Amino acid sequence: MSASSSRSFPLSLAPELFGDDAPETRGDRVYFRLLELFILVYAAWFCWDWGFYIQQNISSVLLPLGLANYVDVSLFFDHQVALINAGLVTLLGALGFFRLWRPAYLLALISFHFQYVARYSLGEISHGSNLIGMGVLGLGIALLAFRSESMRRRFTFGFLYFFIGLGYTSAAVSKLIGTGLYWPDGRHLLMWIGERKVDTLSKFGAFDPNVLQDLVLTDYRFGTAILLFGLFAEAVSFLMWWKSYRYPIVLLVVGMHIGIYFSMNIFFAASTYLLILLGLPWNRVIDALLSSDPSGEDRVASQKAPA
Amino acid sequence: MSSTGPRKALQIIGIVLAVYALLVATHKGEFWPFSIYPMFSQAGNPWTRAVVREVPPETTAESIDWSAVPFENVAGEPYPLAPKNINQNDVANYVSKTDDWTPGRVQGLRSLFTKNRTLTAPLLVYRVRGVLADDTVSVSATPVMLFAPDTTHLNPSPAARTPGSTVAESSAAK
Repeated sequence: MSASSSRSFPLSLAPELFGDDAPETRGDRVYFRLLELFILVYAAWFCWDWGFYIQQNISSVLLPLGLANYVDVSLFFDHQVALINAGLVTLLGALGFFRLWRPAYLLALISFHFQYVARYSLGEISHGSNLIGMGVLGLGIALLAFRSESMRRRFTFGFLYFFIGLGYTSAAVSKLIGTGLYWPDGRHLLMWIGERKVDTLSKFGAFDPNVLQDLVLTDYRFGTAILLFGLFAEAVSFLMWWKSYRYPIVLLVVGMHIGIYFSMNIFFAASTYLLILLGLPWNRVIDALLSSDPSGEDRVASQKAPA
Repeated sequence: MSSTGPRKALQIIGIVLAVYALLVATHKGEFWPFSIYPMFSQAGNPWTRAVVREVPPETTAESIDWSAVPFENVAGEPYPLAPKNINQNDVANYVSKTDDWTPGRVQGLRSLFTKNRTLTAPLLVYRVRGVLADDTVSVSATPVMLFAPDTTHLNPSPAARTPGSTVAESSAAK
C-alpha cells in the first residue's frame, strides 16, 4: 500500500462515520436523544446497582483495576460513599442531558470509572458495562467538542460504531492470539458449558441444560459450528465502520450475543440492547410515526422550523 | 454541515484511539471502559470456580474430609448465592486467585458472607476445577474454607488451599 493510499484510508472513513448529506429530520434528533437517554439511564442503573453491592459486600481490594492502581478505592466501601457517587453520576448525567453544563458527561464518566473499579476490585473483570462506558465517553466528548447538536449526534454515532466495531474485532484477534486457529474446537465449548454449570449451581442451586447445550453435550461438533459463527461475527465487526455494511454487521453481532446466551447462559444485556438500538434505522421508524408524510417533505420542514 | 466537522471528529477519534492503546498496553489489556476484550481467549485450559455448601450446625473442622472429591460428591446442601445478593464471580475469584491466604484475604472472603448479615449455619467453600479429558469435562472439588458463625477454618493442608498447588498435585498424580 502506498503512503498516499494509507493516508487516504482514515480520511475516507470520516464521511462513512460522521458524514450524512441528507437533511436532518425530527426522527434523527429524537433517535439521538433516545439513544442518549438509554446510555445515561443504563449508566445510572449500573452505578446504583454497584453502589448497593459495594456497601453490602465489599471490604477489601483483591485486584486493583484502572485508576484503583493509583488511588485507594477502599473509601468507597463504607459510609455510603458508593451511593453518594451513584447520585453524583445521576446528577451529572441530568446536567449533561439538559445541556446545562458541557463538562458534565466527562466528569460523570470519571465517577462511573471509580464506581466500576470499586465494584470489581475482587478480581472479576466484567465487560458488561464497557459499551455503556464508551457511550458516555462519546457523549461527553461530543458535548464538549461540538456546539452544533447535529454534529454532536453525528459524532456520537460515528464514535460508537468505530469503537464497538474495533472492540469486537479485537476480541476475535485476542482469541486467535490466545489460543490459535483451533479456538473454535467444540470441546472448548464443552469446557465453558461445564464451567457455567458450576456457576449456575452456585448461584441458584440447580442447573438444567437447554436444548442447545444438550446438543453440544451430545456431540461437541455442534459446538464447533457455534464457535465458528461467533468468531466470524467478531472478526468482521469492524465492517460496521462503513455505512453499506453497518446494519447487517451490527445485527450479526446481536445474533452472536443471543448465541452466547443460549450456549453459555451469559447475557450481556446492556451491550445487546445498545446494539439493537444501533443496528436498525430507528430514525426512519420515528419519522414514519411522527409524520403522515415520511416521503421527504417533512425533512425540509423540520430543517426550517425555528429551534 | 461544513466538511471541517467530520475532519475534526476523525482527529478526535485518532486521539482517543491513541489514549485507548496506551492505557490498555500499560494495564494488561484493561482500563475501563477501554479493553482488548480478552474474554474466552484462553480456550481449553483448565478452569477454577467455587461453590458454597451449607453444612449441618454440628460440623467442625475435625469432622470434615478436606480431600478433593468428584463434584457430584460435595458435602452439605446448596447455598445459592444469588438470593443473598452475593456475586458468584467474586467468590470464585477469591478462591481461584489467592495464592497466600493472609488474614486479610480470609477476612475479605468471609465478609462477603457476613458483612451486614449473620450466618445461621456453617458454610463450606469448595474450589472446583474442570479439565478436559477424552472429550468430556472432569470436575473435582476441594474444600478450602469452613465459615462457622463465629470462626473460620482453612484447609489444614497448605498445598490444597491454593489453585497453583492443585495444578502441581494434578501433574504429580499423572
